[in-house]
Amino acid sequence: MGAVRRHVQRDALAGEALECGCSSAATRAACAAFAALIALPYAAHSDWTLGVDGSVRRDDNVGNAQFASDKVADTTFDGRLSIFRLIPVSGSYSLTIGGDLSGEAYHSLTGLNNASLDGLLSLKKKWGLGAYAPWARIGATVARSSYEDSYRNAWDYRAAFASGRRLDERWNLWAEYAYDSRVARALPEEVPGISGDAFSQVSQSLTANVEYSVSESALVSLGLSARHGDVVSTSIPNLTVYYASAAIAEDPAFGPEAYAYKLTGTTWGARAGISFSPTVHSLLGCAIEYWDTHADGSNEYTKTVAEITWNYRF
Amino acid sequence: MNRYFTLAAALYVIGCTMPLLAAELHVTVKDHHGKSVADAVVLATPTDPKSAQRAKPPVDAVDQVDKQFVPYVKPVFVGSKIRFPNSDNIRHQVYSFSPAKKFELPLYGGTDAPPVVFDKPGVVVLGCNIHDWMVGYIYVSETPFFAKTESAGSATISDLPPGEYTVRIWHPSMEHGEETTARQVTLSADAPTSVAWEVGLKPSFRVPRVSGAASPGYP
Repeated sequence: MGAVRRHVQRDALAGEALECGCSSAATRAACAAFAALIALPYAAHSDWTLGVDGSVRRDDNVGNAQFASDKVADTTFDGRLSIFRLIPVSGSYSLTIGGDLSGEAYHSLTGLNNASLDGLLSLKKKWGLGAYAPWARIGATVARSSYEDSYRNAWDYRAAFASGRRLDERWNLWAEYAYDSRVARALPEEVPGISGDAFSQVSQSLTANVEYSVSESALVSLGLSARHGDVVSTSIPNLTVYYASAAIAEDPAFGPEAYAYKLTGTTWGARAGISFSPTVHSLLGCAIEYWDTHADGSNEYTKTVAEITWNYRF
Repeated sequence: MNRYFTLAAALYVIGCTMPLLAAELHVTVKDHHGKSVADAVVLATPTDPKSAQRAKPPVDAVDQVDKQFVPYVKPVFVGSKIRFPNSDNIRHQVYSFSPAKKFELPLYGGTDAPPVVFDKPGVVVLGCNIHDWMVGYIYVSETPFFAKTESAGSATISDLPPGEYTVRIWHPSMEHGEETTARQVTLSADAPTSVAWEVGLKPSFRVPRVSGAASPGYP
């Protein structure tokens, strides 16, 4: 019964996508990337700054599952093209506008493959001149993510306030508060009376970071964060979590029997990384993150993410 | 009469075309590991102040290319005017907090910025308020006799009046002050004088140009 409903739902979603004149996420991403690549030579000769980033990530619990039997590990390959422009407003204020085009490919969970296009607007204030002047930045980001399994498609809205200061030539400190809202389309109710809007989330987070230069071209970083709000945990039907869930939806990207449960929870996270600059334009890094979530219904789960990153700025 | 005139004219021509009696100083600078040190400023101060000819300081330039100051180190004679052309396609905001010269050039592009006069001797550290990793140095020299080492760690100061000099070395990453490098050197017009220095350099930490995804970046 569930499988039939899934097929109907998928067909309906596919039909809706076609009605909208849309093609697959991969096609849209390829078209956008092509357009961006055509624009690169023009942007490179203007007041815009360009960036290219790539990473390989290994996540030992992609679905945020509580029990070992539900945990799915996977490797993702990420790519990102970014472009932004700094517009000085006055001596101490500057406005940044920009955007990213990014893609994420999963090795096994291919339904989670996605492309994302986002726009950024931020205002930065610096108290004084130079690299050691304290700064604060307030900004907003809007992103549209398009997934291979389109029921996860969403709009992401983010408002953030960050502030920091470089203490000296080796130490750099900064912190950020962010409000995130993900708006996905509500799916049909799986359980009467319980919303199917499992992929829409609201959360707030606070992150503190410290960076230390260990040599002329290498630095280590440590970040601690706390996040409170909606979390989505995917597992096979789980009665305890079921009763605590604000929304439930099928999540076929993780298998035919997988359900996504939206819960309220608090996540504590830590991130440690080291990066190396082989040239002034590029950065190679590796990092490990550990997340510990305590959610409603005694749903507690952890995840560890290891990543290798490469960043290039023109 | 004609014979005397011809002789005088010949002597005048010979006098004008003969090389002046000038000395030349060759310097090589290496670090404690034997590696050549580029961008070291070599300063030759004559013991007799009269030897330091006070030529009119030239107008010179420090460019901004690929979001970096070019050259990284620029020695100039005190009183020099320096222009700061911007060869990048984005604007820069050049400043210095250094006691030898405090100044700020509000955001500009191209060659719009007025020249800056460096009228006090000392080291002037340059920065850009938009691109924090941009660092450059202007060494404002009291003596007109200076040079900067190339990538091979060598530099030559030519056309020096023969005599006694105090020769010093300065580099942005030097462990100790330039006073510790001072040496008395006698220069003669007979042959170039070569002197080698070994200096200790400390690591040069600079603000990274590229930040990772977890860093705030420069927007």
